[in-house]
Amino acid sequence: MIIIGEKINGSIPSVARAIADRDEAHIRNLAIKQSEAGATYIDVCASVDKAIEVETMKWLIDIVQDAVDTPIAVDSPDPHVIVECLPFCKKEGLVNSVSMEGDKVETIFPVIANTKWECVALLSDDTGIPQTAEKRLSVFADLMVKAKEYGIAPNRLHIDPLIEMLCTSEDGINMVTSVMREIRDQYPTIHITGAVSNISFNLPVRKIINQAFTVLSMANGLDSAIFDPLNRDLLGMIYATEALLGMDDYCMEYIGAYRSGLIGPLPKA
Amino acid sequence: MSKLEEVSAAVENGKAKIVAGLVQEALDEGIDPAEILNVGMIGAMAVVGEKFKNNEIFVPEMLIAARAMKKGVDVLKPHLMSSGVESAGKVIIGTVIGDLHDIGKNLVTMMIEGAGFEVLDLGVDVPPEKFIETMKANPDCKIVALSALLTTTMPSITNTIEAIKEAGLRDTVKIMVGGAPVTQAFADEIGADGYSEDAASAAELAKKLAAEVYA
Repeated sequence: MIIIGEKINGSIPSVARAIADRDEAHIRNLAIKQSEAGATYIDVCASVDKAIEVETMKWLIDIVQDAVDTPIAVDSPDPHVIVECLPFCKKEGLVNSVSMEGDKVETIFPVIANTKWECVALLSDDTGIPQTAEKRLSVFADLMVKAKEYGIAPNRLHIDPLIEMLCTSEDGINMVTSVMREIRDQYPTIHITGAVSNISFNLPVRKIINQAFTVLSMANGLDSAIFDPLNRDLLGMIYATEALLGMDDYCMEYIGAYRSGLIGPLPKA
Repeated sequence: MSKLEEVSAAVENGKAKIVAGLVQEALDEGIDPAEILNVGMIGAMAVVGEKFKNNEIFVPEMLIAARAMKKGVDVLKPHLMSSGVESAGKVIIGTVIGDLHDIGKNLVTMMIEGAGFEVLDLGVDVPPEKFIETMKANPDCKIVALSALLTTTMPSITNTIEAIKEAGLRDTVKIMVGGAPVTQAFADEIGADGYSEDAASAAELAKKLAAEVYA
């Protein structure tokens, strides 16, 4: 599983305070903890006023890079901010994100065309989030035309089919999983990602829904996800699911995660 | 770390991909093939077996260690033969007739191989005649290991031993028995020479029995 660690995000109140107070230690700690928990990328999202977004991103990115070697997922709703922030990164990481909305693809794709940057792409367009599998797949098809145009190979793309709240869905996650399967069929090497916790908004005991969703999605092709890798229960569920799906030779990843204390009961102090 | 220690560590940690290369390097350094086998590999498997017995490692960790050892043995084999190193002995193993379970038997096979024995694995659902035929074809085999996983197939162990007696071969071998429902008391009752409760102990038992036979 490609883990995009979500904890450094200005929309989280404690992080917003750390940003406002320029509390470097707080950010550094979040980077180290997520990296130790096996994050493939450390997501960095400022969630501040546009006027100070780039400088805030730079401050955050510099701290993370000073603390860990894990590549950055540069996260902003504004593609121009992302383009400005990419040069701050020592390593090529992940762009989070583009979609077929506005000029996002046209702004980002030319910049990352001849690089190793990977890119999250949401299946929405100027009409919003399509409500049928057919329409989402049609947005996907448009996106892949653009990717091809700029020579961005499928294995550099993390397609987010967009996870919406379970509580207002009429068919559970069936539509989304059918989209995942179709994408996986069309492009075996592409990555399929999602923000795991979106599914459980407005329901009690959200973590159970999140876990069940993750397991079912992995069975349908999800191989990348945005979540908190310090969430031991979810991380354990992911390791277990990979083993069950035959993706973990001799269960050694699972055992390794247990041995290094990432999953299972916390060692007694 | 010496080359031998590197081999040993790679086997113990199940690093199948690097073991063959390390064994070759050890040979190139002029280390005696027998020492590579005995110290580097059998020694490492003994550590693995001990850890398994003490519940410090899980079954897959034992499996990958055995797999790593196999990779090393492949490189070592021609050198062992040309330098005349003898195996620890030959063992015939099988799950008795009527019983189709093979996981435990396979683990025992691996650990016994890990202890330096040559193992003739007859598989599962093995009729007494098959054991006898194999014993006749391999008069140098001194240990027969019988496995059963069900209380309903335990009598097949008894019957197999009886058949070996009737064939006049009982005195030519040591017989060891094992499997989930099998106990020391059962082993004593049916006149087996040894019982062990897990794969690591089975390897130790085989070594002990072999020492008695070849003494």
